[in-house]
Amino acid sequence: MVKSAWLAVMLTGAAWAAGPLPEEGVFGNAARGGGFAQVLEPRAFEFPRDHGPHPEYRQEWWYVTGNLDSSGGERFGFELTFFRFALAPEEVVHPAQPVAAGVESSWRTGQIYMAHFAITDAAHKQFRFMQKLSRGAVGLAGVRNPPLHVWIDDWSLGTIDPEGTHWTLRAAERGYELVLDAQVLQPPVLNGEQGFSRKSNDPGSASYYYSIPRVAVRGRVVRDGKPLEVQGLAWVDREWGSGSLSSAEQGWDWFALQLQDGTALMFYSLRNHDGSRDPNSAGTWISAAGLSRRLASDEVQIDVLDYWKNPRGDRYPAHWRVRVPTEGIDVDVRPVLANQELLTSARYWEGAVDVTGASAGQKTAGRGYVELVGYAAQ
Amino acid sequence: MPALWAASFRHLLRHPAQLALALVGLSLGVATIIAVDIATASSRRAFELSMDAVNGAATHQIVGGPQGIDERLYAELRTHDLVPGELQPDLAPVVEGYVTVGDREMQLIGVDPLASAELGVPGGLQGDEGQNERVAALGKWFTERGAVVMAAGVAKQLGVARGKHFDIDVGGVQYPAVLISEIRDDGAAYDTLLLTDIAQAQEWLGRVGKLSRIDVRVPAGSVGEAMVARLRQRLPVDVQLHDARGRTRESLDMTRAFTTNLKAMSLLALLVSTLLIYGAISFAVVQRRRVIGILRALGATRSEVLAIVLTEAAALGVVGAAIGLGLGLLIGHELITLVSRTINDLYFVVAVRETTLPVSSVVKALLGGFFTALAAALLPALEVAGSAPQLGLRRSVLEERAVHIARRLIIVSAVLAASAGIVVLVSGRSLFAGFAALFLLLLSVAAVTPAVLRGLARAAANFAGRASPIARLAFGDIAASLSRTGVAVAALGMAVAAMIGVSIMVESFRESLREWLGNTIQADAYVTAPGPGAGRPERRIEPGVMARVLATAGIGDHSESRQVIVESPNGPVPLTALQLPRTGQSALQFVAGDAAHAWPDFKEGAVIIAEPLAWRLQLRVGDKLPLSTASGVQTFRVAAIYREYGNDRGNVLMSLAQYRRLWHDDEITAMGIYLAPGAQPAAVIAQMRAAVRGGQALLFASNADIRALSMSIFERTFVITRVLNWLAAGVAAVGLISSLLAWELERSHELAIVRSIGLTPFGAAALIEAQTGFMGLVALVAAIPAGLLTAIVLTDVINRRAFGWQIDLHLTATQFTDALSLALVAALAAGLYPAWRTATASIAGDIREE
Repeated sequence: MVKSAWLAVMLTGAAWAAGPLPEEGVFGNAARGGGFAQVLEPRAFEFPRDHGPHPEYRQEWWYVTGNLDSSGGERFGFELTFFRFALAPEEVVHPAQPVAAGVESSWRTGQIYMAHFAITDAAHKQFRFMQKLSRGAVGLAGVRNPPLHVWIDDWSLGTIDPEGTHWTLRAAERGYELVLDAQVLQPPVLNGEQGFSRKSNDPGSASYYYSIPRVAVRGRVVRDGKPLEVQGLAWVDREWGSGSLSSAEQGWDWFALQLQDGTALMFYSLRNHDGSRDPNSAGTWISAAGLSRRLASDEVQIDVLDYWKNPRGDRYPAHWRVRVPTEGIDVDVRPVLANQELLTSARYWEGAVDVTGASAGQKTAGRGYVELVGYAAQ
Repeated sequence: MPALWAASFRHLLRHPAQLALALVGLSLGVATIIAVDIATASSRRAFELSMDAVNGAATHQIVGGPQGIDERLYAELRTHDLVPGELQPDLAPVVEGYVTVGDREMQLIGVDPLASAELGVPGGLQGDEGQNERVAALGKWFTERGAVVMAAGVAKQLGVARGKHFDIDVGGVQYPAVLISEIRDDGAAYDTLLLTDIAQAQEWLGRVGKLSRIDVRVPAGSVGEAMVARLRQRLPVDVQLHDARGRTRESLDMTRAFTTNLKAMSLLALLVSTLLIYGAISFAVVQRRRVIGILRALGATRSEVLAIVLTEAAALGVVGAAIGLGLGLLIGHELITLVSRTINDLYFVVAVRETTLPVSSVVKALLGGFFTALAAALLPALEVAGSAPQLGLRRSVLEERAVHIARRLIIVSAVLAASAGIVVLVSGRSLFAGFAALFLLLLSVAAVTPAVLRGLARAAANFAGRASPIARLAFGDIAASLSRTGVAVAALGMAVAAMIGVSIMVESFRESLREWLGNTIQADAYVTAPGPGAGRPERRIEPGVMARVLATAGIGDHSESRQVIVESPNGPVPLTALQLPRTGQSALQFVAGDAAHAWPDFKEGAVIIAEPLAWRLQLRVGDKLPLSTASGVQTFRVAAIYREYGNDRGNVLMSLAQYRRLWHDDEITAMGIYLAPGAQPAAVIAQMRAAVRGGQALLFASNADIRALSMSIFERTFVITRVLNWLAAGVAAVGLISSLLAWELERSHELAIVRSIGLTPFGAAALIEAQTGFMGLVALVAAIPAGLLTAIVLTDVINRRAFGWQIDLHLTATQFTDALSLALVAALAAGLYPAWRTATASIAGDIREE
């Protein structure tokens, strides 16, 4: 999802401890036009090249969410995400003519990386998250491709093969370590217009966005030092650009649902401050064979059936009815745990969900991940 | 018994001057202790605060030698699991060095704010008003060249505004910097800190690829211990893991000898004031013998009398200590400037803004004042309480007793002096024992003084009495009133002895230093990379600049040195790596080892160490000194020990070639320039200056400049010693005035009789001045040998034990004439008021009073 301004806030919030959030677009117009490549029209995607970094754009991320079952029957959800954010274009940070004479430090960079790792442990009714921040220098954090390798410290995500079909990931936080091997089951799906995804009517308020909707994962969750064998299904999201949301927009609700019949649904609903849905909201429906179709905003109906309040009194939607009449989809979506809120520098809810209902008119079930941004007082 | 208390109270009120002077003496003693505690504790606190601001919650530090730590180690530690199944410890890299902004010396701290945040070090942007400013500042922090953050107060003092460009000086090279944000912290923690990004710090300090240290935070308990153990295994041989608190302590320990000396001086002041109180209480008791005798005859018990005298003393002690506390705060404030300046010169950059007074110091000073007063009063109290009721009325008994005591005190004095000698001999290296011996010695002087005074006064009476009966009366009276005069002169004698001792010590030190500088500073000129702090790696002469300097005509030969601080199993050790021309070798005066063998050994890899280091580590020629090199700890044979006053931690000399090989550091801190025959130092220095104009601002100094500079640093260091010494002398002078005043006033009746039989007013005044002047001289006579002994203890015992160096004793006339002036001025001043009073008093009135 579009997280640009929000990402800036997360970075700085983390660096300078919690405080009130700024208005959107802090890096502002200077950054918007200021030397970064802009997302203005569709482009040609090429894999595995586009799994790798696009440093000419201001921000980009590698987002993996998934649902896991242990061999003992325990249910887990996980989120591991890496963000790259450029504070200034490369030519500003590293001018062709060095400003001062002498050797330049390899710590000098405008590239900042952030990662979030969260585990939903349904059996223990426990949700845990952790954030990492680092500069993309001296080997502390960065991206290499091919094969893809994204890392901060000892957290990493990458592909083993140059083609990018076999992935691995590893992260650890207090009490939980996650080590997974992943096999891509379907090729990448381009969201929006051939991967060109608009977020508002402002020019440049768009991103390049693709997903890998079905990824088989297998590995282990180490809980309090005890390893558990796990397997399940993950979803990979990739997005990059230089713009941000429009000032009218407040946040978004993002759904990525994987159904038992092999189909999948992605939809993001952009919310305006006045509570209305922005017409640029959109989604993608993916068939069991991996064929995809773009969903316009008016094709998807979402009804909130229930709410959850966090201890500070912020109210999040917590139970939905999602309907896509054109695809015969009518499903009930419920969080696995009510509290899957990440109290990171910017607060948001991202959690594993259960899906029941009908797809193509047939009774089905499934799992997925939902992301809710812009609900919590920051 | 209310009558007894009323008598006591009335007496004190009727003698306000005496009361006031006793109080002044005690409060000065207490004040000195408080002041020294404030000055040392405040400097210490300021240092700890700035360390805390930089270290945050670090539990450990990874440190390297002068070569620093390879930054790849940091990335390696962060990206590889330390203990499987456990979270990584928090790690934050730091690149630091000393820089100068305007005329202010500051510590440049380069951090990675994203990593430092984990350790609770906000990186300095936490004070910004709003999130928008913080975000903007973060963007600038990373992307704007020269971006720095400092405390708002400091920025104001330097006249630097946000967004304004200014220059920082790193070892003589100017770099443009810009203030992007200010720390709005009222505390003193950030007073010396200049924060910048780690990349910027590396570039400015010439440390690209290197870190000064890595701050580490591990959790408490067994997990943390396991991490520390694993971390140690993972570290390469050229870096070490230290406990963070221990690290701060090690830095502070460097100043220990210096602060111990200060504290000893303050104890000396209190000791002098003990004698003062003793004098004051004695007089107070003696003046009331009559009243007390009557009260005893009326039924007051001994314990009641004892209680009342001790209560008076206790009250005096409490009030004096309280006044001393206030006075100490005032003096302490002034002393802080002197102490912190000395610390900046010798140890590390520190700015003391806040006054710290430890509660323990207050308790110590108050109790010290209280018990000093009690202890001083105990003897007179016991004496007066012990006397029979009717005898209490007669003064002659007391004086007889005083003569007996004076005789007995000769033996006591001998015992004290002998004890002082024994303490010195058996105590080995203990500094505390050195001070104990010093105090024993001074007490021994005090003990013998009354007997000396009596003997000399009687001799003077006999001798002068042949010429004039008035003179016989004057000197005879001194001997006859020994109970009063003896104590006063003893106090003065002790103070004068201490003064002579300290001034001989300082003078001897100065002369030894001058001589040493004359030998050591052999090159004709010196070129040094400037900057605060000794042994800082960022002080380096840029290689290109060095070549330009050496291309100057008129240079015959040159030496090169690299001055750094290296790690060792014994803590940080200053090291100077040298490449000397043969003529330069005579610069070192060996106190052990001989040049014929030492220099060839030096070339082969042995080290030559300074006397203070040899003392501190108890090393002899042939012993092995372990040092942490880039390839782990290696031992070096000590080829010789040389005389050194420049550094009280003690220096290690090593050949430059070997240092470069073992520490991978090719920088040069300073060069010695030996001129070609016929070349003029001033002309060559001017040419060298011209050669580097526009580049690095190096320090050029002729050997005369260096000597003058060293001497001025020395003088500055001893300003504190001298201030305290004068304070102690002041306490003694006040004491003498107090004692003599009381004595002379009490004799007004006697003097009135003498005047009534024909002594002119002028004659009476002269008589009194002759008496007090004589007592001043006697104090001096007792003080001269004692002062010499004190000087020997100070130089050979105290200095040796505190710093490890040997000082040659140098005697000059001024040391004695200063003491003479002090003794005479104090004594004559003490006689002024009684002399004036006697000269102008109504004779009839004074006689009638009897």
